[in-house]
Amino acid sequence: MNLQESQFVSVRVPAEAEFVDIVRLTLYGIASKWGFSYEEIEDMKVAVAEACNNAVLHAYEGMEKGFVEVKFEMNDGGIRITVKDEGSSFDYAHKEAKAESLHNKDLSEINAGGLGIFMMQALMDDVEVHTNAGTEVILTKFLQRNEELA
Amino acid sequence: MNDKKFTIQKEVMADEVIVYLSGELDLSAATEMREDLEPFVNQTNRALTLNLKDLKYIDSTGIGIIVSILKTRTAAGAAFGVEDIPAKIKRLFDITGITQYLRPSNGSAERKEDIV
Repeated sequence: MNLQESQFVSVRVPAEAEFVDIVRLTLYGIASKWGFSYEEIEDMKVAVAEACNNAVLHAYEGMEKGFVEVKFEMNDGGIRITVKDEGSSFDYAHKEAKAESLHNKDLSEINAGGLGIFMMQALMDDVEVHTNAGTEVILTKFLQRNEELA
Repeated sequence: MNDKKFTIQKEVMADEVIVYLSGELDLSAATEMREDLEPFVNQTNRALTLNLKDLKYIDSTGIGIIVSILKTRTAAGAAFGVEDIPAKIKRLFDITGITQYLRPSNGSAERKEDIV
């Protein structure tokens, strides 16, 4: 079966911590269906959850809690996952500059603050962020083709 | 009622407490874990060990809690170990760089008796 360009699945959940597992479960279902390996799915689960965590924690600060919409699109090369909120734009550029791992640091100077964004970058092939009305994080993972199955 | 996504069980011995984390340690479980473990993190006369054998998932929030426990215990000069780390959790510890700070537990005298 050939996947249509327009084929996508989306899920919209309240921007609350207890709904992030719904997004992980949806990702698991879709990514398995689309042929990703167990390890790739585990990586994507963490990356997508980190994007959702940012929306849960920062998007609706000081205002009524809104929603997070996660759209999964499959194209020729891989999967494109868009995590979008409608809140106040998260200061992504600032956080991204501080996103780093804990390697080569002394225990007294380590801080887990930038780990979420660091993990998204480490676990996906591409991370794109748009902050216009709300924040939109686009995570891409390429599909490693198994030639023997082709 | 469904199974809880995340559970904490403790085995308290005279000189060590082993905390067994199971299920998914994410943002929704973070507050529960912090509050539940706080008294043990502050008990410096007893070694604290996290056993991750049945941990299925961890995110940056969970890793942040472990970093915070590690810092508190180190500052207080108290023993802290992390053991039985599943491969997929270990991979995230390696990527984030927390692995270099983690040591397995020396284990309490009571545990050593169990093994013999």
